[in-house]
Amino acid sequence: MRLSVDVGGTFTDLVVDDGAGLLKVYKSPTTSPDPIEGVLDVVALAAAGEGRTTQALLAATDMFIHSTTRAINAVVTGKTAHTAFLTTRGHPDILLVREGGRTDAFNYRIPYPAPYVPRSLTFEVEERIGADGRIVRPLVAASVHDIADRLKAAGVEAVAVCLLWSIVNPAHELAVAAILAERLPGVPVTLSHQLNPSLREYRRASSCCIDASLKPVMTRYLRALTSRLGESGLAGKMFAVTSQGGIADIEELAERPILSLNSGPSMAPVSGRHYALAEHGHTAIVTDAGGTTYDVSLVRNGAIPWTRETWIGPLYQGHMTGFPSVDVKSIGAGGGSIASVDGGGMLHVGPQSAGSNPGPVCYGRGGIHPTVTDAALVLGYIDPDFFLGGRMALAVEAARTAIATQIAQPLGLSLDDAALAIIELATETMINAIEEITVKQGIDPEDTTIVGGGGAAGLNAVAIARRLKCRTVLFPEVGAVLSAAGAIMSELRREFVRTEFMRVSHFDVARANVIVAGLRAEAQAFLDGNVGAGRDTVIDYFIEGHYPSQVWEIEVALEGPIFDATVGAANLIRDFHARHREIFSFADDHDEVEIVSWRAVARSRIADSRAGLRLATAPPATGERVRSMVFRDTGRLDAPVYDLDALPQDHPVTGPAIIESSFTTIVVDPGSRAVRQPAQIVVEPFLGRLAGQGG
Amino acid sequence: MDGAPPRIDGVKLAIMQKRFEGVTRKMANTLLRTARSGVINTARDFSCALVTADCDLLTAADSYPIHVLRGADLMARAILHFHPDVKPGDAFLHNSPYHGNTHAADHTILVPVFDDRGVHRFTVLAKAHQADCGNSLPTTYMGTARDVYQEGALIFPAVRVQQDYRDNLDVMNMCMMRIRVPNQWRGDYLAMVGAARIGEREIVRMGEELGWAAVAGHARQWFNFSERRMVETIAAMRSGRARMTCIHDPLPQSPGDGIAANADVIVDSAAVRITVDLTDNIDCLPVGVNLSEACSRTAAMVGVFNSLPQSVPANAGSFRRVDVRLRENCIVGIPLHPTSTSVATTNLADRVTSAVQRAMAEIDPALGMAEGGAGIPPASGVISGRDPRHGGALFVNEVILAGGGGPGTFSNDGWLSLFTMGNGGMPFYDSIEIDELHHPIRIETRRIVPDSEGAGTYRGAPGVLTEFRPVDCDIEIGFVSDGTVNPALGARGGQPAIPARQFLRADSGAVTPLGTSEQVTIRNDQLMVSYSNGGGGFGDPAKRDPEKVAEDVREGWISAARATTVYKVALDETGRVDVVTTAALRA
Repeated sequence: MRLSVDVGGTFTDLVVDDGAGLLKVYKSPTTSPDPIEGVLDVVALAAAGEGRTTQALLAATDMFIHSTTRAINAVVTGKTAHTAFLTTRGHPDILLVREGGRTDAFNYRIPYPAPYVPRSLTFEVEERIGADGRIVRPLVAASVHDIADRLKAAGVEAVAVCLLWSIVNPAHELAVAAILAERLPGVPVTLSHQLNPSLREYRRASSCCIDASLKPVMTRYLRALTSRLGESGLAGKMFAVTSQGGIADIEELAERPILSLNSGPSMAPVSGRHYALAEHGHTAIVTDAGGTTYDVSLVRNGAIPWTRETWIGPLYQGHMTGFPSVDVKSIGAGGGSIASVDGGGMLHVGPQSAGSNPGPVCYGRGGIHPTVTDAALVLGYIDPDFFLGGRMALAVEAARTAIATQIAQPLGLSLDDAALAIIELATETMINAIEEITVKQGIDPEDTTIVGGGGAAGLNAVAIARRLKCRTVLFPEVGAVLSAAGAIMSELRREFVRTEFMRVSHFDVARANVIVAGLRAEAQAFLDGNVGAGRDTVIDYFIEGHYPSQVWEIEVALEGPIFDATVGAANLIRDFHARHREIFSFADDHDEVEIVSWRAVARSRIADSRAGLRLATAPPATGERVRSMVFRDTGRLDAPVYDLDALPQDHPVTGPAIIESSFTTIVVDPGSRAVRQPAQIVVEPFLGRLAGQGG
Repeated sequence: MDGAPPRIDGVKLAIMQKRFEGVTRKMANTLLRTARSGVINTARDFSCALVTADCDLLTAADSYPIHVLRGADLMARAILHFHPDVKPGDAFLHNSPYHGNTHAADHTILVPVFDDRGVHRFTVLAKAHQADCGNSLPTTYMGTARDVYQEGALIFPAVRVQQDYRDNLDVMNMCMMRIRVPNQWRGDYLAMVGAARIGEREIVRMGEELGWAAVAGHARQWFNFSERRMVETIAAMRSGRARMTCIHDPLPQSPGDGIAANADVIVDSAAVRITVDLTDNIDCLPVGVNLSEACSRTAAMVGVFNSLPQSVPANAGSFRRVDVRLRENCIVGIPLHPTSTSVATTNLADRVTSAVQRAMAEIDPALGMAEGGAGIPPASGVISGRDPRHGGALFVNEVILAGGGGPGTFSNDGWLSLFTMGNGGMPFYDSIEIDELHHPIRIETRRIVPDSEGAGTYRGAPGVLTEFRPVDCDIEIGFVSDGTVNPALGARGGQPAIPARQFLRADSGAVTPLGTSEQVTIRNDQLMVSYSNGGGGFGDPAKRDPEKVAEDVREGWISAARATTVYKVALDETGRVDVVTTAALRA
């Protein structure tokens, strides 16, 4: 059995995969300040659902996959460790100068970005290694001891060491680490040549500093998670979702916490792609609407959006992570987004969120600020008695009072109009996020499909589609837990790299075969050593290379792990030119090709998801009923509410209507049509104008 | 006023415009990823742009302003002038500063794009600063060249280098015989043609997908939209006129007190026009810093756009509201052949831009900015020599390690990695490791210089100290480090930055001072020391937020002494603002 847990800002989601392709979903509030409590809560909920004890459920679990936004939240809110940066004498401004670059040529209203580690916590080590690895100036140990004293005095909690050319000769970084281990025992250290052995000191230093700054918080968290799940009976192995849209051993994550930096949203496109491909093979906007954030990504022709140059914050203004990752845009908008009216009479929704604690007013846990969820409740979109399958009763009157006094009165609106305004403003914010990744890239959202994921997606996904003139909205059955489900569909993946320069004009077949055989052995050992592996294991081989004096490599796949002595590099050379032409429209067919690095990528599916994951249906709750609800087009009226699990397939429902399940509510706007299909609900938004509607 | 167009039209217009910008972005990506010289593949010293069949600039997204704001139009026109018979498959090499190009080192590949019926619809440009262009000395900045002959670059006035998508080998062979490290040039040429062909392919795709009428018709709407936006913007500005002067360092053959750039600026919000008059300036000189027409027009325009209160798309539409007055044979005007414009993109062009934006600040204190740190110091010089690691193979390249600091503006401190005003901070600064891998040099230092900024309510960015030396050989370097005599000036009470400085320091301790414009050898036992010029400050430094001053001290940007003497801020022993003493100092 496999469990996948996704700790979001508001809810902790759990997907149970029994191995037969049938998923069960559980959802429980995220707990703060100790999110592990929420993980154990949702596991207990699942155990109850399965009719077992927590101990028994965890004992039967062979893979436990974990995803958390803890790392990125720590970076964005500045709650990372007090981190120092040690670098080569003469180069203290690597993080300040970065690689230059600026957008928006005439707009000088954007301030110059501060370095990830301030100059006052940057220290210069007396040493220098040359480009060829020679020691130009030996390491002066006394300079490191002196720095160690200052680090102690400054109360530094983590140290990043990035020396020039450590990737060619790591001796000095290793020596610095040895001194720090002795002088600052227990203070975690990241060495750049170990974390990210790549050329270009800014990228290496930036990843190194981000990684070090996350170590204390992530190590504490993962250690606690492992031990508490162990105490509760978990026998299987733990894995963590990575920014690369795959999963990795949790011990690897503790060593390299930067891997989890963008892991939260990275899984939504992985699962969103699955549904978009199954239905309509073109461009899909995958949205994941949670309680706190709204994540959007663009899946084109089935390709997961990928970026090699990941920035935390805007391009050239934030920090480059130095690691490739799945490309997802996140904004602060969700069910928990707080609505307020400022002194000038302007309505605001978000980015502040009520989170899970205290949560929206209607949760009755002490929240006093009205949220998007409160507005949806007032409008009749959410059933107060059926939230989370009836496990949490919602306080409608408290929500009405909060919106009436804090929003409706200051704006001079009726209660219903105030609640509509809150939803509409949240919708507008989400549309802006979608336009960022579509319109601003020259993609017309009209020609795309929206995949509505996340527990809050159904509230306004149809409204968003109407505004963008999208013709199709898909709500996967597992949409409410899109990220957790994505992890179940993802791959165990690890890359093995060897940096060794070789010119194809002097191609050494024997040497090349030794390099690739070494990579193959490492990759195979990785696959053999993982219980999760076993389905469709694949090892792919690549080289990265370029023409002479180019500085950016292109990746070319090898035909296999063995070069034939008579063919030599001929096929590789042919493929390199072809690939160069394909990407850049030209090739220099007779020129030399320089191989810079060799890679093996080991992949293994952890579930057989090709048939499509289905949700195990719960027994229908109450069947069809009628509820009073409000739409901008119609005003308040009684409209039908359908139970998702009881809705027959291929039997269209026309809005105004609500389709709801324990985990989600889909608002079908007036005139829009919804059809249940295997594994998903498909909605065609009404794009016209209703009769009698004002202009 | 006719009714506002329905929102959906605005959205459609924006989508189409972003698609065009996507075209130039794809071109730029191709050029960066495939070029062979460091100045292109690491420093990104290039631009990609797109003009209409009428040669009006449609987009230069992510390009250096100085490269293409004006000039892309002039170059496209030069092609039609010399070649009325343009055909699909043509490509043109253009670097003539007498026919719309910036300076001879900026090779530009232009490709006219045709629809399925053979009608010329657009022209795409890829312009890149070459590592070498065949000058008489191994530098692309010949500050003291007395004319184009002494410069020595091959000049290509819109020369057809491809026909039917095939290279004209005669032209290439000429370049291979004149340009240093010819294979590097050839690789860069292929990358530029590749980028232009990517642009052509993407536009043809747009035409096929969306219809040529819609794609071509977009430009007119976008220009009108941009002009309307410019009208709204200027109408809300304060009217007035001001003259400001910024002075380039003296060069041999120039007036002894330097080369002045006077800008007479008029903002007329009633007539909704801005005028920049550059005609009251001296004639061209027998030096390399004369501006080309493209650079004169653009430099003035950059000063205007930098000073607008809100962002306005920069294209032929918004340009209708800005008049730039030039005269022939003026040093910041229209040079006549064979005047040298070898250094036209940076030095004197920046002085023009800075004069314009300081004048804008005089007209309206809530606009404009101080003077940007002058370029370009040895830290961005052209280095050349023989690489002992590769059997003495020749190398030549402009390294971009540091440049001028950004000016303080009416609302912000200067942008640290500005480089020059004309580049607007868009170049990438070289990676130390990449530069050391590709050249026989070691960069010992790159750090900001405390107390070098132009002080102000909003301070300029500081200068940068860069030190580098050859490894196992001697090398040569060329640069024109303006700001050595005349540092960047402040605006509205802001102070000037500390001047640039450069010298060679031998291991023996012997120091060889260097002037503004030099072409010298750096011996194996010498260190090249380069202090770049910071940006000027904006407004009275004694009005700077004391908390910002305290932060600058804490982070090592300025000394505590300077905080007291210049910014009139006293700090206690823990580095916090001493409010009482500060108030007394500022009283």
